[in-house]
Amino acid sequence: MKAWLNFSPSIVNKTIISDLIKNFDIHFNILRADITPKGGKMLIEMGGNQSEEAIKFLEKEGIQLTPIKKVVKKDEDKCIDCGACMSLCPVKAICPADDWTVDVDDKLCIGCGFCTFSCPTRAIKVTE
Amino acid sequence: MKTVEEINQRIKDGDAVVVTAAEMTRLVKENGLKETAKEVDVVTTGTFGAMCSSGAFLNFGHSDPPIKMSRTYLNGVEAYSGIAAVDAYLGATQPNRNPDVGLEHGGAHVIEDLIRGDEMELVAEAYGTDCYPLTEIKTQISLDSVNQAIMVNPRNCYQNYAAATNSTDETLYTYMGTLLPKMGNVSYSSAGELSPLLNDPYFQTIGNGTRIFLCGAEGYVIGEGTQYATDVERKNGVPVSTAGTLMLKGDMKDMDPDYVRGATMPKYGPTLYVGAGIPIPILNEELASRTAISDEEIACQIIDYGIPRRSRPMVMETNYHELKKGVIELDGVEVPTSPLSSQKKAIKIAEELKNWIDQGEFFLTQPIKKLPTKGRTVKPLEIQRPSILVKDLKSEVLILARPTDDISEVARKMVQNSINHLPVVDENNKLLGIVTSWDIANAVAHGKRKLTDVMTKKVIIAREEEPVDVIARRIDKNKISGLPIIDKDNTVKGMVTAEDISRLMGGD
Repeated sequence: MKAWLNFSPSIVNKTIISDLIKNFDIHFNILRADITPKGGKMLIEMGGNQSEEAIKFLEKEGIQLTPIKKVVKKDEDKCIDCGACMSLCPVKAICPADDWTVDVDDKLCIGCGFCTFSCPTRAIKVTE
Repeated sequence: MKTVEEINQRIKDGDAVVVTAAEMTRLVKENGLKETAKEVDVVTTGTFGAMCSSGAFLNFGHSDPPIKMSRTYLNGVEAYSGIAAVDAYLGATQPNRNPDVGLEHGGAHVIEDLIRGDEMELVAEAYGTDCYPLTEIKTQISLDSVNQAIMVNPRNCYQNYAAATNSTDETLYTYMGTLLPKMGNVSYSSAGELSPLLNDPYFQTIGNGTRIFLCGAEGYVIGEGTQYATDVERKNGVPVSTAGTLMLKGDMKDMDPDYVRGATMPKYGPTLYVGAGIPIPILNEELASRTAISDEEIACQIIDYGIPRRSRPMVMETNYHELKKGVIELDGVEVPTSPLSSQKKAIKIAEELKNWIDQGEFFLTQPIKKLPTKGRTVKPLEIQRPSILVKDLKSEVLILARPTDDISEVARKMVQNSINHLPVVDENNKLLGIVTSWDIANAVAHGKRKLTDVMTKKVIIAREEEPVDVIARRIDKNKISGLPIIDKDNTVKGMVTAEDISRLMGGD
């Protein structure tokens, strides 16, 4: 699952994430993070046997958890398969097929939006 | 040895052997040059790239009462109409006059919309004459309603084109697409082994009058393109960077929207993706070997777009085989690459042209005049007011702060010298940060005493060798009011402020 973790100013100094990783059997990846003393948020991807317990732990510690389903979509009529987006994707979610069709992989996408802004024909959309 | 007439007879008889440039490369490798040269009659090439130097001549027809249009707008995009009364030239890179639309829907998009058959608004203004009394009109036009819609592209099909990267710390938005900071990506634009002019590098068959595939219709080469160059470095017979270009013409009424597309390079502007394919008759073994060129044999230079000057430095030379792998090693780091021109459409265009010839619908031409093969170079434009460099600015006495300085002391320095910016340096005058009068006010308001708490550590800087115009753009882009001048050892040499620059531009 992918989710936004919202940190209020009162908990930014706690070691919640390291406790989470030490105490639960999960695999965990931080995709984006922007946390200051005023609070902030972190985009994570998490899976594994104890995911549910891990979520409960996070909520108990005061983190607001908002699961997301970002959908990256390519408009086939607009896309000209130029590939301008390919080198901009930080997670290699956009790759060429054997015939140079530009394929976007929804599962890998973290919704950063670099490709949508840079697409010459505005053919890629990321929606939540 | 074959002739174009013999090949055309074979096309008519349905006997011509036609292959794409990619297939030709494989065939020569497998069957050898001699046999392939005998066997193959035509090699088709293709490219589908962003070609800014494109546009269309339109003739709207005469209204009643008539008008001599001096300004025309198509869905808000201005077309040049200083040609007779009702003719106009719509350029691909023209932005929309509506600032809310701006770069998002410009000349290139209007060209695509026309080819799609869309109706659109034509607004025309005029000064009025005895023979053309009307001074303004507002009406609807479409591809069907206009007398002519002729695409004439002054510079298409660059023979080769340098790839782009960006060494600076900020993202750059260029006609080569979005370039990530610190050489985070590389974009290249040629179709490599499929590209028309890389398959006939000495213009032995492509010339004035050559019939081609242009945006899904039959088109023609009407001469050398602008910025045409011949005297360039070559490897394996093909130029290692920009060289030949073509001027192309075609009737938009016959074009297919699948092979032409209006696009916007973010924060750069509109551009037209043009689909072009050129057939090359295999008249002899030399042409067979030229068209057999592979991506590996075509060199491409990677240029640093971080330096906004006419001559940008080369980072490295590579080839299209490497670039098309999707990652390339730059200074020991794997960097992702983007093609920018559609390789898929380039293949499709070469296939489509092959199909036309196979069906006996398209015949080859001999050029009525050859393109120049020597003596052409691209001349620079010398400007009368040469660029003023940062180091040419009159420098005031350099006033600096140290990180250990007390806030009140810094405030006093600023007031005494009537300045708003103070670079913070170490004992060797190397830059550590910058403080502004706003930072000081902020410190006082929040009771902060140490300079290091309020100074900006990530400083936007100016280099001594940079033109002042580049700095003006940097000030504007980053919404700052001043920046320190730094030499190559990171030593602070002075300050340049927005006021310095406006004084300079004002001619004071």
